[in-house]
Amino acid sequence: MERGSGTTISRRRFLQSVAAIGAAAACAPGAGPSGGAQSGTPAGTAAASAKPVSIEWWRRNYTPGSQNAETLTSDGAVKAFRERQPNVTLAIQGGPFGAETDQKFDIAILQQKAGPDVFHTTGGDVLKYAAAGQLSEAPLTDAERRDFNPSALQATTYKDKVVAYPLWIVPWFEYINLDLFNERGVTPPKDGSWTYDEFLEAAKKLTFKRADGKQVYGFAHANDEFAFMLVDGGRPYDKDVKKWTFNSAEAVSGLEKWVALAREKVMPPDFLTLNPNDAQARFISGDIAILQRPSAMINVLNADKKFEYAKSWEIANFPKGKGEQTAWGGVGFIAVREQQDADKKGAAHQFAKYLTGPEIGPDLKKMTPPVEYWLAPAARVSAAGIYGEYHPAKAKVAKMSSFTYVLPNVRTFSEIDQKHLRPARDAALEGKKTPKQALDEVATAAQRLLDEANK
Amino acid sequence: MPAALRRHGWSYLFVLPTFSLFVVFTLLPVAQAFALSLQSASVVGGEWIGFENFATLAEDPVFRQALGNTVLFTVVVVAAQIVLALVVASLIQPLGRKNQTFYRALFYLPLVNSAILVAMVWRWIFNPNPFGLANTALGAVGLGPFLWIGSSDEALLAVILSAVLTIPGGGVVLYSAAINSLPRELYEAADVEGAGWFTKWWRITVPLLKPTTLYLLVIYTILAFQIFERVYVMTNGGGPNNATITIVQLIYSTAFQFGRYGLASAMAVVLFVMAVAVAVLQFRSLRSDVEY
Repeated sequence: MERGSGTTISRRRFLQSVAAIGAAAACAPGAGPSGGAQSGTPAGTAAASAKPVSIEWWRRNYTPGSQNAETLTSDGAVKAFRERQPNVTLAIQGGPFGAETDQKFDIAILQQKAGPDVFHTTGGDVLKYAAAGQLSEAPLTDAERRDFNPSALQATTYKDKVVAYPLWIVPWFEYINLDLFNERGVTPPKDGSWTYDEFLEAAKKLTFKRADGKQVYGFAHANDEFAFMLVDGGRPYDKDVKKWTFNSAEAVSGLEKWVALAREKVMPPDFLTLNPNDAQARFISGDIAILQRPSAMINVLNADKKFEYAKSWEIANFPKGKGEQTAWGGVGFIAVREQQDADKKGAAHQFAKYLTGPEIGPDLKKMTPPVEYWLAPAARVSAAGIYGEYHPAKAKVAKMSSFTYVLPNVRTFSEIDQKHLRPARDAALEGKKTPKQALDEVATAAQRLLDEANK
Repeated sequence: MPAALRRHGWSYLFVLPTFSLFVVFTLLPVAQAFALSLQSASVVGGEWIGFENFATLAEDPVFRQALGNTVLFTVVVVAAQIVLALVVASLIQPLGRKNQTFYRALFYLPLVNSAILVAMVWRWIFNPNPFGLANTALGAVGLGPFLWIGSSDEALLAVILSAVLTIPGGGVVLYSAAINSLPRELYEAADVEGAGWFTKWWRITVPLLKPTTLYLLVIYTILAFQIFERVYVMTNGGGPNNATITIVQLIYSTAFQFGRYGLASAMAVVLFVMAVAVAVLQFRSLRSDVEY
């Protein structure tokens, strides 16, 4: 084995070095399976008298040493919080997005009654953990309550208690390839607003075959969305989240609009199995003119220097149907574990408030290099402004929060979705069933699973 | 203490470490899966509900679809793989020793590839767009384009084809080794009787390979019943309209995405019983006293 200087290192020497590094790593702070940015001992004299507290934060997709967004923002958040609260020591644990990490959370929190003091969570997990008595109520003032997006706050309310801090709202919307629009003489929607008919007309014009045989499609979405079912006012549940309503006339009408896109062949033939990464790559390479994706794709597009914002791409709202302007979105939350240790719980709440509050964005922006903390628009009005300062496209996205429909937390939704709703949707899009027939067939099973979640 | 035990008892010490690992990491989990199948189990525990999970499965159309897909995949793929392995091994057999080794390695080496990677390649081959390799190749002779994994009518066919068109390297190696160990006298006698190559292959080679065929049949059947990653990667899980959903895919989502560990364990038990039943049938129908 060659060292940089060109001298040779023996196998024994190499193994000794590895052992030494391993031993050092094992003794180092934050050592562990995925232990990451553990801050050092409390520094600064201002809070020297405050009692030292150590808390553990679990963050999905945190990978120590990597450059992914979750890791950079988490490391930045810990550093910035420590400057404000030097008595609090934080250790981060991570795991990739997906079922394995969800299970790790479940086992730690539900089975072992252990694990994180504060953690990042999504969807139905919040209510599942709240039902198990594992979440500590967020001590919010009335002003703070009013500051949060109401539907996001509703999603974290369990038995009239707010059991997690809404972090951000991730809206889905349309990315448009301006090069293709110009090439086909299609006018981009003014101020990003268009009706369904205008959208369909544009998608038809943007579906064409080039002289070299390359096929361009007007529209695509990755196979993980139900946005079109909202555009005419359809919603999965009623206001109390007690009744399944995704077979209402409005939802059926929305699905019919979606089916029309398939019938007009403005979507690529693999639209039922198109995964997000492939969809994004094909949008960038000019194979797809309009792509429906969440706000995180803005950073992906910005990473491509040749593909400039406002010159090559732009964003637009969902096409407007018969209902109010809407967008489809998800919410991220920060939850604090219920525990006996009041100091830890207090520090965890402080950190959770900081992670979801207005100070963190400017704190991380001041860092060298600056860190864009908000990966999506904040769920608090007072924290929302800075997301728009990162990029002009994000400024537009920040305004979408007001009409983004946040899917309520129902712990059985993934089962409703994967086992029933998605296959029914596919059958309708393939023309094997009418939208009404497909959605009616889902209703009974979906209602049963919704009832089970509400028990 | 019986004399045999006195004499050989110490040898149990040697198998104890392996046996302990087998008990801890195989036997106990299997037993636990059986126990979980009788419970309404979640990650925090469960309560005994008897055979209710099995009743739920019987009424679940998605499970029935997964069962049907798994059986169809297994029947077609196992039959094709056995025939392909036998034919390829038979074609290699007349070649010289060096060539035999070369071809065995050639067919076996792809097995060391990651199954996920292989599935990703097949996903591209059967991409419904004109740039998919299968559509490009068929387009050259005026066929297609086909929707392949983009359609609920063709997705399972694409998954089956991807398995069938992958020559089973393990089977080729085993058949090839078995063919080389067949007694030459039988072929010489057949030559004297004026038998052609096909008669010799059909009347001598194939019957004498029964033990190898039985072994491969059992192993391939179990592997086919466990099909997961190919479906997961090629068709994003269950494919359009659940067209490619299989039992193991459904076990995965039921346990780890829906949190229904009891129901998922019941599916695993059904799969286990199916595998045992098929293996017993195969043993009964193919066992023979081939000796040479």
